Amino acid sequence: MTDVEVKSEVTGTIWKIEMKVGDAVDVGDEILIVESMKMEIPVMASIPGRISKITVSEGQPVEEGDTLAIIEAQK
Amino acid sequence: MGHGELLADYNDREAKALAMGGQKKLEKRRASGILNARERVDYLADPDSFLEVGLFGTSSVIPEDRDKTPADGKVCGFAKIAGRETAVISNDFTVKGASSSLTNMKKIGHVKKTATKRGLPIVFLGESSGARMPDNMGSRGMGALLGNDPTQYMRGRETPWASAVLGPCYGSSAWYTCLSDFSVMRKGAVMAVASPQLASLAIGQAVEPEELGGWEVHSETTGLIDAFVDSDEEALDVIKRFLSYMPSNHNEAPPRLVVPAGSDTASASLMGLVPESRKRVYDMHKVINGVLDCDSFFEVKSRFGRVAITGLGRLDGRTVGVIANNPLVKGGALDAQACEKITGFLVLCDSFNIPILMFVDTPGFTIGMEGERQRAPGKIINFMTALQSCSVPKLSVIVRKSYGQAYLNMGGGQNSDQVAAWPTAEVSFMDPAFATNVVLWGRDEKAEPEKFQQVRAQMEQDGSIWDMASSFAVQAVIRPDETRQYLMRMLEVHEMRITGGIGQHVLRNWPTTF
Repeated sequence: MTDVEVKSEVTGTIWKIEMKVGDAVDVGDEILIVESMKMEIPVMASIPGRISKITVSEGQPVEEGDTLAIIEAQK
Repeated sequence: MGHGELLADYNDREAKALAMGGQKKLEKRRASGILNARERVDYLADPDSFLEVGLFGTSSVIPEDRDKTPADGKVCGFAKIAGRETAVISNDFTVKGASSSLTNMKKIGHVKKTATKRGLPIVFLGESSGARMPDNMGSRGMGALLGNDPTQYMRGRETPWASAVLGPCYGSSAWYTCLSDFSVMRKGAVMAVASPQLASLAIGQAVEPEELGGWEVHSETTGLIDAFVDSDEEALDVIKRFLSYMPSNHNEAPPRLVVPAGSDTASASLMGLVPESRKRVYDMHKVINGVLDCDSFFEVKSRFGRVAITGLGRLDGRTVGVIANNPLVKGGALDAQACEKITGFLVLCDSFNIPILMFVDTPGFTIGMEGERQRAPGKIINFMTALQSCSVPKLSVIVRKSYGQAYLNMGGGQNSDQVAAWPTAEVSFMDPAFATNVVLWGRDEKAEPEKFQQVRAQMEQDGSIWDMASSFAVQAVIRPDETRQYLMRMLEVHEMRITGGIGQHVLRNWPTTF
């Protein structure tokens, strides 16, 4: 089983977490939204799988490249 | 020798030259699914149209190499591609790794000189180990082989150059790729200054080829290559596609094609692509595809500087260059990579008489530590200089946000020949949320929430497009669904009639990889 880290492409604040641990995801599904430059930037799954960990909480500031969640890749 | 003998000798010499580096090496390539230098030319060229020069060239430096260097490792000549005359250089890796030596450099020089003088595009098919050893060694080698052509690496963009990286590309194959107007890489190929082996020797560490100059490095980090494919055939198809948008030289207008059926019906739902919430993002590719002729968009550098989209396309059958912000990536905030990518693309359009369409939705330039260290101020102003130097028609459409300096960089004001806005457009110096804090500096939002809300609401209202339309700072506010028809007419209005479709090419010498 491969784990894939979902990283923030921008520096900003976690605005909304839309999924929870255990949820199944497909490529392009929105996992959470980072607010940056007064825009809501969706963070999407890059592989199909299952959310095994969410490492941030709403309102938390994040830097570009920070890990936000982990997807357990589908076999 | 009698005529019969002369002809037999000719046939023998021709067969040897066409045999390249020998059966064994050619079979090995075939087994791994890689085309050889001559198969590549055949795939690229219209049937039976390749006219070779220098078939009988061989090494002229080391006497013992003369019989081991068919065509001296670089196949050169002229081919028709989609009916148009084109100069072609194809590196034959089976002959001494297609390394550069005296004869093959003269061959390339001849083909380049002819193409430049007669106005033909050039295609370089790169796969070369670099300078041939020991030919280039010592002061005798350097004196005899290097520096004989003062125009060897000069770029004046008289004609379009397209390159393919189809194997190891070190030395000249890397240089020509970086000098080209368009380049494509087959995944698995490597482009670098010098080979990983040489790099390992120089720095005393193991160097992985893919890490040194593989497709991931060039697509995401350097941006030196425009497109990435899985096979030789796909690479050659992509080069043909690129050339289909281009004129043969800078004194011609690009070819105009028949508009594909169905192109006028795709744009009916454009307004629905923009979310009603000004904070939500969307994919600008959908807007571009809705406006252009069906299936005509040919994106370049799609994985580099992704906050912006650059690519060639057709509108009403005419070649256009598209520059757009993509709110889907980082909200469309322009960064240093995007500035570089757009600047290089402006050079291409300006050099080859290609009108520019801009689709604008950006909250501005990315600000912060990272950008400053990537020399963002310099990149922003280079982009601006390039835009203002372009003499081809520039048509800008403000789809949603256009703020501050980015408003100017994306063609705002007199920086386009024509600016239109959608009713969704909002233009101001910065986002009202930031501006409120600047205006009410030192005051506490928690203590005066109503005051902050009132100032913010007024600023949001002031950003709507109607004040700008009222003072004619945009020439039109258009219904999104009319964008295609509007741009088609404006391309017609802005045809460069005075010069027969030819621009001033102020950017022709711009070093795009700077």
